[in-house]
Amino acid sequence: MLKKRLIPCMLLQNGQIVKSIGFSDYQIIGNPKIAIKFFNAWSVDEIIFLDISREKEYTKRIRTDYNFKMLYSFAEIVLECAKICFVPLTAGGGIKTIDDMLVLFKSGVDKVCINTYAAKTPNLITESARKFGSQAIVVSIDVKKKSNGKYEVFIAGGSESTGLDPVNWAVKAQKLGAGEIFLNSIDKDGSLSGYDLGLIKSVTSAVNIPVIACGGVGKWQDLVDGIKIGNAIAVSAANIFHFTEQSTKHAKKYMVDSGIDVRI
Amino acid sequence: MHFCKKCVYPSASAVKLTFDEHGVCSGCRVAEEKKKIDWDKRSKMLKDLAQKYRARNGGNYDCIIPVSGGKDSYFQTHYVTKVLRLKPLLVTYHGNNYLPEGEYNLSRMRQVFDVDHIIFRPSEKALIKLNRICFKKMGDMNWHAHCGIFTYPVQIAVKFKIKLIVWGEHGYMDLGGMYSLNDFPEMTAKYRFEHACRGFDWYDMVGDEGLREQDLFWAKYPSEKELEESGVRGIYLGNYVDWDANVHYKLVQKLYGWQEARQPFERTYRRFSNLDDMHENGIHDYLKYIKFGYGRATDHACKDIRAGYITREKGIEMVRKHDYVKPRRDLERWLKYIGMREAEFDRIADTFRDPRVWRKNKKGKWEKDNIWDEK
Repeated sequence: MLKKRLIPCMLLQNGQIVKSIGFSDYQIIGNPKIAIKFFNAWSVDEIIFLDISREKEYTKRIRTDYNFKMLYSFAEIVLECAKICFVPLTAGGGIKTIDDMLVLFKSGVDKVCINTYAAKTPNLITESARKFGSQAIVVSIDVKKKSNGKYEVFIAGGSESTGLDPVNWAVKAQKLGAGEIFLNSIDKDGSLSGYDLGLIKSVTSAVNIPVIACGGVGKWQDLVDGIKIGNAIAVSAANIFHFTEQSTKHAKKYMVDSGIDVRI
Repeated sequence: MHFCKKCVYPSASAVKLTFDEHGVCSGCRVAEEKKKIDWDKRSKMLKDLAQKYRARNGGNYDCIIPVSGGKDSYFQTHYVTKVLRLKPLLVTYHGNNYLPEGEYNLSRMRQVFDVDHIIFRPSEKALIKLNRICFKKMGDMNWHAHCGIFTYPVQIAVKFKIKLIVWGEHGYMDLGGMYSLNDFPEMTAKYRFEHACRGFDWYDMVGDEGLREQDLFWAKYPSEKELEESGVRGIYLGNYVDWDANVHYKLVQKLYGWQEARQPFERTYRRFSNLDDMHENGIHDYLKYIKFGYGRATDHACKDIRAGYITREKGIEMVRKHDYVKPRRDLERWLKYIGMREAEFDRIADTFRDPRVWRKNKKGKWEKDNIWDEK
């Protein structure tokens, strides 16, 4: 059986890695290249970069007395990071077209992650899968629970509703050629209260492609639950891996101790 | 450039900020969290944590406390010895520029607390070189201190196999709201390298002015392997205790005779901060003003506004009074210490002005947006 994967998700806003709470409150962690340098050594299986900038200004929050080069675009950041990244790198955020993907692939990423424009123009999934192969196309799905208890897919950084049901949408994305689903919960984002396991289970039981669970991890046991209860093939988190020394390494050790087959 | 609507931080601050839809900075938002925390519960959590790290059979120190001898050091040591009842080893990186009051406080720690204390003092020659090199390289003569403070205690922890380090406040969380109080961030090699040392490390200094690796042993952080094998963990007391510098300094004054600065500083109104390095509130801080357009008075005003000690109006008054001041007394001492002329200092300092903050007016003078002109 394939090993389970642990994937830190790096949220990038205006060129800086940020922490996110509820898709609305952000705190700045720091430089993406430095993060890669450390996570490389902390036994992660992959890294996902998501550019969640609202405006395309990549240097305004950067100190000029840092020993780091100013990078002026997401592609440039990805290019610099891919050079030093030892594990597969996925990049997403603001991808609208095949050409956008080409820029990122040329910058050295292994997979691209699409969200808003996958929903707006589903044909983009098919076209990109045909061109780059399904294994390189990750469809990201952001989900919010409505007041009636039903789940709905949101796009544009959680700001636009779609009327789509996450299970139906994941099944459709698979049919269209997606290689993986990156499943995030807007309500759980930054809550530290654990994954929305019901949501994850409903999607993993409906599709055959790998589902990467994200959103809400507050302790290492949550990662174990995502795999054991949610049946996710891979588990991801953004905030928590920035809190402690060798975080992902400790998380992996915990997963091994809990009987999960991961590379260490 | 704009300013936080609650405190006095500018948008282009050294500690990176995000702003919410009301124009309030992340530092203020995290300070608000403090009021909602159940601090009794936190104190219980810390006691449980301390229990795990208590050395078995008294075979080692229970923890390390990195100290400068300042009010926070006294408070940390007070808390660790009197509340947690642990046996700490105090470790100090001494950067050679203590104020006499700071030196007095530092030397008394082993007397008032019944603790052992390692004070590490690098070669003065090497330090003078580092002052000069780092001023030219990054506009910060005190880089050696940021590096030493964040490195040497961790080296000692690894060497003596002491698994717990108790730091004070998480600086970037307190000032800029880098994390939430619910995140319990701990000290990491990444934080040291990226934020304390700003991407520079000991090897960037080798070769400059003849500095050798041998001059910089104290600046070498333990490797990933050493960190993993030793299991050393650095926690912040600020995650477990309702941190209030204004309360703490009075407490340690009363209990232990801790002394604040006798002479006021030129660049800030507080007298109880940064006694471990006279330039930290002086010429080092003036460079922060050159770079980012604000200084220590802004930092202190932000802390005091958030904690409810002064109003924003009063804070702005302090910023206006102190931020621009070129500290004569302190500058002259430093120029003499490292052997540089003022004209050269000014010329190099000007190369670090952030274009997002500073512009030259028609008369060729540097100017910037000021908080008191804001509508």
